[in-house]
Amino acid sequence: MSLLTRTDVTAVRFFSNYILAGIGSSLEVYHRDNGKFIRKINVLKGQKIYGIKSTNSGSKFIIFGGKQFSIVELNFNYGEETVLERQVLCPVVCDDWLHSGIFISENKVALLTAHNVVQIWNTENETLNEKYISKDNSILYSGMLLPLKDDLLVFSGTVFSEVIIHRCGDDLPLHHLKGHKGVIFSINYNSEKKIIVTTSDDRSVRIWKVDNIENFDVDSKDYWINAKITCVNNLYGHMARVMRSHITNDLIISIGEDSGICFWNHQGKLLRKVMSHQNACIWSLDADDRYLVTGGGDCGVILHPLSLVSEYGHKEIVPIEIVTPKKVKFTARRNILIMNESNQLIYYDLISKTSHINDLNHTSTYKLLSLSSCKQIIAVADMNGKLDIFIENCKGDAGIIKIIDTKLNLGKILSLQWAGNRHLVVCSENGQITVLASKEMGIEVIDKFSLPPCKEMWLTASALSLDGKILVVGDRVGHIHIYFHGIKNPVRTFSKVYDRYGATSIIIKRNEFITTGRDGKIKYFSLSNDVHSIKYMSCKDLEFQWLEKFLDKQEHYICGFHERVFVVYDVKNNLKVLDVACGGGHRSWDAVRYIEKVDDNFDEFIEVLYLKNYTLYAEKFQLSKIMSKNVINGIHSKEINCLKTYKYDENNASTYFLSGGEDTTLRIASSNLTSQIKDHVVFKQLSSIRTVKIQPVDKNKILLLSAGGRAQICAKIITFNQDNNEIHPEELIDYLIKGRDKERKGDKNWRDCSIDFDPETRIMDLEILKENNIFTIITACSDATLRIFNLDIDNKKLNPIKEIRYHKTCILKTHIFEFAKNTLLVTCTTRGDVAFWDVGKPEKNLSEPIFSTHTNKSGINSIDVSIIDNTRFLLATAGDDNTIHLNLIQIQKDINSMRVTKSWSSDKYHCSQITGLKLIGDLMVSTGIDQRVTVFTLSVKNEVKCNFFSQHYSDVSDIHGLDVIDISDESVTITVFGKGIEVIRIPKPIK
Amino acid sequence: MGKTSKDKRDIYYRLAKEEGWRARSAFKLLQINEEYNIFDGVLRAVDLCAAPGSWSQVLTKKLRKNTDNADEVKIVAVDLQAMASLPGVKQIQGDITKVSTANEIIKEFEGLKADLVVCDGAPDVTGLHDIDEYIQSQLLLAALNITTHVLKTGGVFVAKIFRGKDVTLLYSQLKLFFEFVTVSKPRSSRNSSIEAFVICQNYNPPPDYVPTMVNPLLDHKYCDFNQFTGTNRFIVPFNACGDLSAYDSDTSYPLLLEGQDSYEYKEPVQGPIDPPYKEILDKTKAIQINKV
Ligand SMILES: C[S@@+](CC[C@H](N)C(=O)[O-])C[C@H]1O[C@@H](n2cnc3c(N)ncnc32)[C@H](O)[C@@H]1O
Repeated sequence: MSLLTRTDVTAVRFFSNYILAGIGSSLEVYHRDNGKFIRKINVLKGQKIYGIKSTNSGSKFIIFGGKQFSIVELNFNYGEETVLERQVLCPVVCDDWLHSGIFISENKVALLTAHNVVQIWNTENETLNEKYISKDNSILYSGMLLPLKDDLLVFSGTVFSEVIIHRCGDDLPLHHLKGHKGVIFSINYNSEKKIIVTTSDDRSVRIWKVDNIENFDVDSKDYWINAKITCVNNLYGHMARVMRSHITNDLIISIGEDSGICFWNHQGKLLRKVMSHQNACIWSLDADDRYLVTGGGDCGVILHPLSLVSEYGHKEIVPIEIVTPKKVKFTARRNILIMNESNQLIYYDLISKTSHINDLNHTSTYKLLSLSSCKQIIAVADMNGKLDIFIENCKGDAGIIKIIDTKLNLGKILSLQWAGNRHLVVCSENGQITVLASKEMGIEVIDKFSLPPCKEMWLTASALSLDGKILVVGDRVGHIHIYFHGIKNPVRTFSKVYDRYGATSIIIKRNEFITTGRDGKIKYFSLSNDVHSIKYMSCKDLEFQWLEKFLDKQEHYICGFHERVFVVYDVKNNLKVLDVACGGGHRSWDAVRYIEKVDDNFDEFIEVLYLKNYTLYAEKFQLSKIMSKNVINGIHSKEINCLKTYKYDENNASTYFLSGGEDTTLRIASSNLTSQIKDHVVFKQLSSIRTVKIQPVDKNKILLLSAGGRAQICAKIITFNQDNNEIHPEELIDYLIKGRDKERKGDKNWRDCSIDFDPETRIMDLEILKENNIFTIITACSDATLRIFNLDIDNKKLNPIKEIRYHKTCILKTHIFEFAKNTLLVTCTTRGDVAFWDVGKPEKNLSEPIFSTHTNKSGINSIDVSIIDNTRFLLATAGDDNTIHLNLIQIQKDINSMRVTKSWSSDKYHCSQITGLKLIGDLMVSTGIDQRVTVFTLSVKNEVKCNFFSQHYSDVSDIHGLDVIDISDESVTITVFGKGIEVIRIPKPIK
Repeated sequence: MGKTSKDKRDIYYRLAKEEGWRARSAFKLLQINEEYNIFDGVLRAVDLCAAPGSWSQVLTKKLRKNTDNADEVKIVAVDLQAMASLPGVKQIQGDITKVSTANEIIKEFEGLKADLVVCDGAPDVTGLHDIDEYIQSQLLLAALNITTHVLKTGGVFVAKIFRGKDVTLLYSQLKLFFEFVTVSKPRSSRNSSIEAFVICQNYNPPPDYVPTMVNPLLDHKYCDFNQFTGTNRFIVPFNACGDLSAYDSDTSYPLLLEGQDSYEYKEPVQGPIDPPYKEILDKTKAIQINKV
């Protein structure tokens, strides 16, 4: 039984307040407004759902995909938020792929196949009534059936770039829509607007106008016979294939392989483009007049308010003549502060539209402006040390008054930042850092520190802990320094945390601090009064480079620039919140987030201020009107190559999934194994991740290793917090195996050696060996070499200790197990060779395997071992030859004298590569690319006996493996992974 | 990345350039032949989905060895895409799923039959496995359909196949027409690739079978859902092909191969043809989405 499935969402549909999503062969029902999961209904068998269409009355649905269709009746109980289904017709298998299915009456459906055949089925008695074969029978990639009152119209999307329109059963086509330059992926028609919209492999969307000079009914065949169809728009907005489109009253919405959603008006103007679904292809969409729902290759379903097109931000020009502005800022009352080159600080009241000028009597033109974190207190200083502090009044007429006017004797002032609301951090000549606080009408020095020498010695960001005892600063070359109260020099320095320009912001939370920079990375550090506990923990990569700061106290929204666009991004949900084409005026901008009451409801707003072409703009966004919401959280956007499940405590309801994939991400998600799986953290590697392995180090703490392309190995310590279900990752290692020396030096024979030194070696698999707190990491590489490292957790070092070249070809899989008091490693290759290594002994003695054999005809993609007794174990291997091999291996005298005593093999149970294999007591479970999960009973006495017990289908394609989650007396719960994840509970044989 | 990185990543890509093949696929056909001797006595062959033409190159080289008179060798190559000409190879540009293309091929043989039909056709993958597998199976069936018109009884058919979730249905279809059907993966195909090749020997159609192009062959379906999961009814033996000492396509080799003392970067034999939508690529490049 399938408990949970996440895979490509190939169909979505609104139905009243519900969202129906086709996920594999099942339909999942969610509440549109609160996102609640209502039900999962299995409707097809072994086919993905590609289309969901209802009768006019709306309660019956035809659901089709691949070569099957089903008819289902859904009864929604709105009050209780439940839905009951009645399967009117169980999956009917047609002899060809279906592109379109519609009701032509309450109990008749029409279907269009990929060979341009229309089939009419009676749903009462499940019979094929009629079949119309078109003359054009080369493969269709898409199609649409349009019922007319007196006929049925067929739109066929062909490989040769043309849409053919013909009346069902008629030999001569009525129209050929020519113009696309590639396969047609979708066809849509809107009878009110009289337009056809097509999308294609050629990256374009075409709008075709259907005209008719005579007065025929639009839904009559005469209308279509006499129609004139012309392409009125050929639209480019996607950077890759355009998969589907939808026509609403005001919009044409198209989705594509580029992860983009384009909103066009009916005249073909691109109104907005939104990127969604984490760079995965977007497969499906539906829209009404208020909402759009999309389903993607990241297995997610996202709801988008259509107001994001019409009410995207309210833009206002601030009517103020600004001569030579330097800086613009929002104040606490969301009025505007402008500092210009003419020694003035202007306060502009947005409500009364009046401005007030404060003259600054500064003597230097190098001026610094900073606002406290509450934005109420304003500090302006010039290079010569003149410091003015203003405060904005909270009540009454808006304005600012100067409260401090002083001169600092610190030499040339180079940088100035507020740290919270009470302290100013000043950096002056020679790296002098001074922390100031206000005292009565003046200023007092709280602390003095010294910045280690570097180029351009000043600070780009700083933060002070709540008790004022710890100061964290970022310098111009990207170092982060930590100072303790009373100690002049940094107690701790993190070098080169950021590249150019340094950190853009630093915030201190209770026992951590967070930094942002211009390389798209948010970095997390632990913070403590104990220097040794101050550590770099982890990093989060964002989709855009230039990060500026968080806009809220919970660190949900981060803002910055993506090239010339200002972006706000929701870090918690991995969704872009908004973008403003501000032209990249980085010097003069500001943004605030706040909550305001609108029509009795509180809503979140973000307001952005920026200067573009000498004009000051204030743009306000009401988030509920523009923000997309996850209905189903996305997971990996490409295949998952490797996955381990973990539960730190049997009583905990959550199972954790640690997975790595082709999308180069490593993710840790938790799941309740029924309706939900959600990523907690996502890490990026340089290339695809092929293996993840875990090793418990404490009760709720694990060592996590991941490795893959570009010969990269990463190690982390993951701590699971039992109280709040949070996950705390600490990155230990990010290591690249270097190319061979000969290559690096560039031998003179190597002509054309403009050689890149990027090693092209992939790490295929790895094992962690733990002995008395010493961790040894063994990696199996695509250059047929085993590489052994020592992992020094305390010093965060990975030290290579040995390379073994024994195999002749790429090593695909490894496995480690304890047997007869020895630790044995198994390695398997692309040629079906298996070798056993005694890795318990000192590495230097390790150069030859203790035993080797040949099992499969081709690559081994899955392996497991089960210990039978003190002298025997069972080796199971399977792979590309779709064969499972079981070999009983016995030791004679000692571990060095192994031999195969009994064997069993079969190629009967899978028809393609076998990628997952587990021995679970007296059961064996296997799975592979054919999406079947096979269960065998196993007995090893004098013979190896293996019998087929059951087989189950999985909706996940490209299965790369399986992991066991749970074993009970009655069942085994496993997960398979590949293009998605499925959790399946398999009953055990009854004893 | 440097231009040698692809040489490092893919040994067969590199070897193809060094040995003068237009594509690395040449090795797949060569390795299939090592195992199955598919070129024995063959003089007339059809190469379906042939562009850029490395299989045609292999065919030319191998078939000429079977006769002293090069004129007896007949090779017809078909593809949707144009390909650079090859001496002794008759080219047809067309869709193999179309009747007109099939007729052209049949006409080429002037009533004679071919000894061997090969098909290396693959669709542009969409990323949805079931669709890709379906389209691929349609190419295979179209090739089989053409084969039923042109292949002599006893002849051989070799075709690319995606070993996906419903591949047994194709096997059962092929078994109707050939006495021996095996599936094989050349060592030059990657372990991670879903592709393999069916080698169908001894063409022997059902006695009442009349070849027709009008009704395309459809793939079989499971008789019932019990067949959908359970023991496979149609088992086709699997073999890896290619010499054991052959290079392995998953293995990363150093640029300096064993037994070599120098490495020289070579340009591809046949430069890449313009991408089909070149002008469109240029257009989309010009779009500044953020300017809307
Ligand atoms: C992998 S390539 C063949 C390589 C070739 N065997 C060689 O060695 O150079 C696959 C080819 O199938 C062709 N193809 C795909 N669909 C086709 C169709 N319907 N008709 C003809 N050719 C097709 C593509 O144009 C492409 O050139």
